[in-house]
Amino acid sequence: MIRGLGAVTVLALAAGLVAGLGLAPREATQGNVQRIMYLHVPSVWVAYLAFAVVFVASIAYLAKRADAADRLAHASAEVGVVFTGITIATGSIWGKPTWGTWWTWDARLTSVSILFVMYLGYLLLRGMIDDRERGARYAAVLGIVAAFNIPLVHFSVIWWRTLHQPPSLMKPGPGMPLVIVTVLLVNFVAFSLLYAYFVVKRVHLLRREAEAAS
Amino acid sequence: MPDNWSFVLAAYGLAAVVLLGYWRMLVRHENDLEAQSAPPSAHLTPGSQTTSAQTGERSHAAPFSGHPRPKPDSRTSLQ
Repeated sequence: MIRGLGAVTVLALAAGLVAGLGLAPREATQGNVQRIMYLHVPSVWVAYLAFAVVFVASIAYLAKRADAADRLAHASAEVGVVFTGITIATGSIWGKPTWGTWWTWDARLTSVSILFVMYLGYLLLRGMIDDRERGARYAAVLGIVAAFNIPLVHFSVIWWRTLHQPPSLMKPGPGMPLVIVTVLLVNFVAFSLLYAYFVVKRVHLLRREAEAAS
Repeated sequence: MPDNWSFVLAAYGLAAVVLLGYWRMLVRHENDLEAQSAPPSAHLTPGSQTTSAQTGERSHAAPFSGHPRPKPDSRTSLQ
């Protein structure tokens, strides 16, 4: 099952790469650097998805004390941190030619950095506590609290005046050209599959670790 | 507006390195777990058994009964 998902993911990523670097047109105002959006936007989507899964799985763990929910939260947080890191790095690379700076402390960039550090802390907390059950309980609480930062990140560009542009996909009025939306959707699907592949594999490993330890 | 292909390639390259690195870490971790859970007899190769049986010499290698000593780099903190 994992191998099959991996094969489909590789195909989807290849399609997304070809679409993003080849099929998508050169954007009129930003030029080719806009192609980074086909990587940056799906990455942050996967990060939101991953942390939402941590939130739900953490509630499930605290309610039922099911180890499977704890493993899902752990795996999803780890993958979410990877994709948040990619979001920050690719956004910074895009910002240099577009804004003229690698980094600025505007609301979106600051809030997403806090999100990244919070989930890094989540993973560190899990690693620091030797008692597995206690570590899982503390991590579940942090997984619930940290998720409240996700709407703050998303709406920061609306609530405050920022250098970062507001959401482009869901804004009212004339939208983006169909070809750009299609390429973005292909990459959304590819990155979502990659998220599923990583999480399934990580959960499998966490289960085997637990079996080996018991 | 300049093309800025170097920035595009840097972003895609960085993402590829991070994602491949994470995937590789998962695969290595999986291999380590498999090596730890494999029975000791799995370390025997048919060729090595045939050679000692054919020559009739007494092997100087440690027997596989008991607990085989893992390689130093594969030991966990408990070992």
